[in-house]
Amino acid sequence: MTTMNKGIQGLKGKGSQRTMLEGALVLIVIALALVIRTKLPGGELRAVSTIFMFIALSQAWNIIGGFTGYASFGQVVFFGMGGYFTAVVMLKFHFSFWLALPLAGVFAAVFAALIGQPLLKLKGHYFAIATLGVAEGMREVVINLPDLTGGGAGISVPIAGTFAKTQYLGDAGFYLLFLGLALFAVGIGTLVSRNKFGYGLRAIHQNEDAAAAVGINTVRSKVMAYSLSAFITGVVGASYVFQQVTIFPERLFDVEITVLMIMMVVIGGSGTVVGPLLGAIGLQFISEYLREHFTNVHTFILAAIIILAVILIPQGAVNYFREGRRTKDYSLLANIRRYRL
Amino acid sequence: MDTFLQVTAYGLLQGGLLALVAVGFSLVWGIMNIVNLSHGAFVILGAYIAWEVQGWFGLDPFLGMFVSAIVLFCVGYVIQRYLINLIVNGPVFITLLLTFGINMALIQGMNLVFTADFRSIQTSYGSNSFEIGNIRIPLVRLLAFLLAIVITFALVAFVKRTRTGISIMATGMDRGAARLMGIRARHVYALTFAISAALAGMAGTMIATIETFDPSKAGKFTLMAFVVAVLGGLGNMYGALVGGLLIGLVEAWAGQYLSGTWVNGIAFLVLILVLIFRPNGLVGKAFYAARVEI
Repeated sequence: MTTMNKGIQGLKGKGSQRTMLEGALVLIVIALALVIRTKLPGGELRAVSTIFMFIALSQAWNIIGGFTGYASFGQVVFFGMGGYFTAVVMLKFHFSFWLALPLAGVFAAVFAALIGQPLLKLKGHYFAIATLGVAEGMREVVINLPDLTGGGAGISVPIAGTFAKTQYLGDAGFYLLFLGLALFAVGIGTLVSRNKFGYGLRAIHQNEDAAAAVGINTVRSKVMAYSLSAFITGVVGASYVFQQVTIFPERLFDVEITVLMIMMVVIGGSGTVVGPLLGAIGLQFISEYLREHFTNVHTFILAAIIILAVILIPQGAVNYFREGRRTKDYSLLANIRRYRL
Repeated sequence: MDTFLQVTAYGLLQGGLLALVAVGFSLVWGIMNIVNLSHGAFVILGAYIAWEVQGWFGLDPFLGMFVSAIVLFCVGYVIQRYLINLIVNGPVFITLLLTFGINMALIQGMNLVFTADFRSIQTSYGSNSFEIGNIRIPLVRLLAFLLAIVITFALVAFVKRTRTGISIMATGMDRGAARLMGIRARHVYALTFAISAALAGMAGTMIATIETFDPSKAGKFTLMAFVVAVLGGLGNMYGALVGGLLIGLVEAWAGQYLSGTWVNGIAFLVLILVLIFRPNGLVGKAFYAARVEI
């Protein structure tokens, strides 16, 4: 009995030590990010802000795609809807940005809950294709409602003058905003990863019938995961719109944004919190670097990276090194053997 | 009434082409459970090959499409055998990402080689048309439509009557059992993908004779292939034909009687509704649902 108690205390001690270590790490990262802010010129600030944006987006996708295992191939629809919601309420109803921001997230989450009820019954490719259809269809709806959304000609958020409730934040301001969003998303990801809800999602990923059999309300869990992921994506979309000022449906519902989110999660390691974080930083950094130095062929190299990464480390970098440390086997051929015919 | 008949005729002719685009996509999805996001890029690549062949050798597109088909057959075989086969058993988003990566590479490659200018294949008979009653039928569209029908029926005959075709079906039904019977699944998968790519190449050539094309149009054809394949039921080749004609009609009518580009929105709405209420397709039966993958 006493040994067991000691054991539990030992575990608890280890847990709180780990939490403290992580807390310290987070504080260091925030401090670093704030110091960097004062050193960088405008263009670089924007580039780093984009990295923060993709950290938040990949964390959002990870909740539905990584933990729950539902490949949402139309995730950009929440980005676009959050963004358009913000643009419309700021322009037509003179909302301040700080009021529009959370409302945009709620709007996206409610939409996700509504479409999630029928769509989350679908499995595998069917879910992926149906969500893609929703995103493409929603773009067409936005294009065809020019009175409300400006249609294909785009819409502009008021940033100056009497109707502008919130002044434009500027490069440094948006840097802070996106840093905050990234921290928020990583925080939510960590929370989900460690509580009962998150373990339920993992159980659904592994075997949905078994998860239902042990008492997990699978429908409710899936819809909640989808809404949570939509909330984060919607809030990020809202911030992106305010940063860009003028927006177009083609950009805001661009399937490439979805693919980037998924790529970052998959390359980093889906179902972990660190994986998408590292994936977002790494891929966005590489992408920017290639765009600058190999302007003509940068898409080409990016495509090659996607193809190679998917074949060589399909489980993601973080999972690859974790498994490697456990089994002492870092062979890439073993990875290929796993999924090949 | 005449307008209605004219629009309907156009819709049917366009539907035949959509069916030809989708039939290969549907075959790959049905047999291998792979959603090939690079299908539209194959269509455009086929159009470029036929365009080049006409430019260099003056070959008529209705012959040039066989060159497209042969080239794309080889490209498709290599892609499946040496890339997609490596991750066939992976989770959904892995296969989707791989084919998306291939799609990106193909489109960017075409942008670099052919530039992003609009192109089309011109023929001496390109503007010919004839009239039935008051309905005008363009010759090239009719030829393309007939060809689409013939190819679909030929594909069905190939799959149902030849040894190779039957081995494709068998692998689609139960891969483990098929392999135990001595079927080389890797080769059969590659062959299926190659056939699908070749059909996409032919469809691309037909499209190039009718309308302009450029690399950015690839995504549109991939999405159309989705909608048609899902409507028809996966792996169901007659289903692709029915789905194609249906979408062609809906597009033509919506284009005539609705404003703006609501057409595309309606196509996606139909897609989602079919997925939710009849995931086996409008004319399909629950055939692939019961298959076994080992």
